[in-house]
Amino acid sequence: MEPTYTEHHLPLRAAGFRTLPEALDYAALGQTGFNFYDGKGKLYEVLPYKLLREQAIALAYQFSQLGIERGSRVAIVADTRADFSRFFFACQYANLVPVPLPASIHLGSHQSYVEQLRGLLINCRPAVAIASDDFHLFLEEAAKGLDLTFLGTPAMFSQLPGEAVDLPLPESQDLAYIQYTSGSTRFPRGVVITQQMALSNLSGIIKDGLQVRPGDRCVSWLPFYHDMGLVGFVLGPVASQLSVDYLGTRDFAMRPRQWLNLMTRNRGTISFSPTFGYELCARRIRKEEVANFDLRSWRVAGVGAETIHANPMGKFADTLAPSGFNPQAFLACYGMAECALAISFAPLDQGLNVDHVNAEHLAESREALPVDSQMKSDSPQEKERITSFVNCGAPLPDYHVEVRDDQGHPLGERQCGTIFVKGPSIMSGYFGEPEATAEVLAHDGWLNTGDIGYCINEHLVITGRKKDLIIIHGRNIWPQDLECLAEQQPGLRSGDVSAFSVSSPHGVETAVLVIQCREFDHEKRNNLVERLKGQIHQELGIDCLIDLVPPHTLPRTSSGKLSRSGARQGFLKRKDWGHPLQQSASTIHETTTGACTGSVS
Amino acid sequence: MPSYQDILPQVYEILRQFTPEGKSPTEDMELVADLGLASMQVMELLLEIEDQFDVSVPLNILPDVKTVKDLVTQLEHITSQP
Repeated sequence: MEPTYTEHHLPLRAAGFRTLPEALDYAALGQTGFNFYDGKGKLYEVLPYKLLREQAIALAYQFSQLGIERGSRVAIVADTRADFSRFFFACQYANLVPVPLPASIHLGSHQSYVEQLRGLLINCRPAVAIASDDFHLFLEEAAKGLDLTFLGTPAMFSQLPGEAVDLPLPESQDLAYIQYTSGSTRFPRGVVITQQMALSNLSGIIKDGLQVRPGDRCVSWLPFYHDMGLVGFVLGPVASQLSVDYLGTRDFAMRPRQWLNLMTRNRGTISFSPTFGYELCARRIRKEEVANFDLRSWRVAGVGAETIHANPMGKFADTLAPSGFNPQAFLACYGMAECALAISFAPLDQGLNVDHVNAEHLAESREALPVDSQMKSDSPQEKERITSFVNCGAPLPDYHVEVRDDQGHPLGERQCGTIFVKGPSIMSGYFGEPEATAEVLAHDGWLNTGDIGYCINEHLVITGRKKDLIIIHGRNIWPQDLECLAEQQPGLRSGDVSAFSVSSPHGVETAVLVIQCREFDHEKRNNLVERLKGQIHQELGIDCLIDLVPPHTLPRTSSGKLSRSGARQGFLKRKDWGHPLQQSASTIHETTTGACTGSVS
Repeated sequence: MPSYQDILPQVYEILRQFTPEGKSPTEDMELVADLGLASMQVMELLLEIEDQFDVSVPLNILPDVKTVKDLVTQLEHITSQP
């Protein structure tokens, strides 16, 4: 089996498509496509765009005969497989709305995974639900009692009749997909994106952010149910006619070197990861194997999806330097599913641009005053006065960013506030959640990103988050989900717990759960911690630091509510973690503007 | 084709590198809750198992594995497949 070509005769077309079917129709004229590799590096399926188009259209005929309305949802468990892309594009040709569902399962997560799927199915009310053999039984269990026209595997679907009919191709205002921003059963947030939104964001990414050129090839292990994996590495390559080499997300987590093997093998030029992916490689790659990689072709090593920490990125670059990795290839970007994917990109070929600011001044006046980075080598006291953030570059053309204070007034250069964004790909809303939509999206089209940062010459620097959302390994976790798990433990009640994230002394984003515990027995306390850790892992697949504190430790706001930012501040104080000033810089912010996660560089 | 009793000591041996000194796993212990495996350690554990038993551990068995016993039972099943 041979992977699809990198170069072909088809002229690169980076924009001008109105809909996803138009983009695939064009890509299908060339010789590029998707390539799927297993964890041991074996290429097991090749899907050229030409074949993808034929098969997607054949499936669309079958969809047409199910008698479901245009715009009906089709839930697809999005594991990294060719069938996902076939069904996703079949929906495009049939003018149905695909909804990728998480394929993220952990040890012992059977019940919680089924509940998660069920919550999402109830939220998006699909007519059809599809899952590969691996996930079919979970999906079936999750959909018990729900009214679906069809539920099954791709093989079962292929048995349906499918005569050629006129396909109801989508218009630019039709929905392209619904993307859940977190797998939370309690807070499903399905971002609604139209064809036009998706295509305009894609053209910005392809033309301006990445400046895609002939000879480019993508490599990705990012999950298909994640905006960066779906929009960036399924739709993006189709809309720019690039070949992609895929590795499953779990296979990457088990064998991170396979990412670099794939980059080496087919001379990949574009690949993205949250910070943690680079960190994992730097930690797990052995010195003696670095020489096996050839990363000289890697021109865009994108980083985003969670707070960017410069330290682990530097470690990755140092470790992989002998393989020809160029640190200038690092490309910081900022975006979110609510905007399809991307909002801003740092300039290409310049590496990470780190802004060093005076921490004390930032804390006191919310102004990010630059300090000479030379000061870093000075005394430890001086060092503590500095906090560092990665510059995420200028917004894409046609996108506008405003930093506003708590009263909604625009702030000037280097003034820290909440980031608002407006542009052609801002979602129409969260599916079936008008209230949640109204909280973040104004009538005039400005989206409250919930992130905090400042601007330097139009360039965006993110310093933290105002909303309480916790982002671990690029995955969004609601603190309420963690708190709810804790509150279900015997002896604990609502109001005893608070969840948030902090940046650990190693520069890694970590979830923390602070619990007011009335139990004094050492063993019982340990049991509580271990049990809860296990449950959090099962439900959410993350590690969580659990901090037991005496009653009345958790601070409350003036209205009597628990303050997550206050709890976070108290935690940092107790643990004496990281840069005290930098962390306090964040926490003083919180009292006025909400939670703010600093990054220690 | 190794039996449950053949696999168990090998799994204990692999687990040893992931568990704190002095904590010896038993069949009924949960990998995460009792043995304290972190999410990335679970990945490393699976890697060791795949390499040592020369098998592929299918993604969809993980949700039904909580204890050491569950893991060994699944491995017995996987290794018995042609």
